[in-house]
Amino acid sequence: MRERTNEQWLAELRGPNPGEALADLYDLLVRGLRAALGGYGGDVEANFGDFAQEALIKITGNLDSFRGESRFTTWAQKIAMNVALTELKRRRWRDASLQDLFAWREADDRGMADTQLTPEQLTLQNMVLGELRRMVDEELTDRQREAVVAVLLEGMPVSEVARRMGTNQNALYKLLHDARRKLKRQMEAAGLSPQEVLAAFEEG
Amino acid sequence: MLKRGDVVKLVRVVAETHETEIGCDECFERLDSFAETELCGVEATGAMPLVGDHLDKCADCRSKFEALLTALRGT
Repeated sequence: MRERTNEQWLAELRGPNPGEALADLYDLLVRGLRAALGGYGGDVEANFGDFAQEALIKITGNLDSFRGESRFTTWAQKIAMNVALTELKRRRWRDASLQDLFAWREADDRGMADTQLTPEQLTLQNMVLGELRRMVDEELTDRQREAVVAVLLEGMPVSEVARRMGTNQNALYKLLHDARRKLKRQMEAAGLSPQEVLAAFEEG
Repeated sequence: MLKRGDVVKLVRVVAETHETEIGCDECFERLDSFAETELCGVEATGAMPLVGDHLDKCADCRSKFEALLTALRGT
């Protein structure tokens, strides 16, 4: 592939004959996808061409948004990674609904205390747990609580939870940030130091 | 809904919460220069702390960053 400066990339892609630049960029994107995602296996590798094509459409449609703060090829590869990973997450999580996730949580036995705890340690844990439950159940909005459970506790990707909640990833991250800030302020008001809580739950 | 086994995970992430955090869109906009800074051997979080903090908290964005870094090293 011919080396190009950022300005050369932009000029060729905007010009009357972008073919060579597009072909070189496509090849670069496929190589990058292979390097980054080659470990996912044959099914995924078969899609690298599609991911690169979709990325090329986004890249050529948004050339004006390239700010020149990095190499053009880096910016382009970022877009290709975003296309690929968004699709791979969608496939990985396609059969998971939030309702199933919440129902599974209700059934999952994650509430048993460590039997090695002293009565004092157990009392402290129960007090803290009760207080945190109150904060989550009463101080967060329903949407904040759903997002906290799905993303922070169950590890579902922000993008996938956002899709199911009818919003976008950026908005959901901000919703989660607001929820975290609220819980932090509640804990401070209740005199619950995170360090002390962690120590009480990580001992024994 | 909060279970005993959730407490450590929840409290850790709450403890790391800052009043000012950037969202996924802003992080994504800066991810290419963050990745290049990292590749130069400079600790990118020092230069762009809000991006670094977001990547610590957001698994979605972190996976994009790690994939980009690997792609850049491999091409």
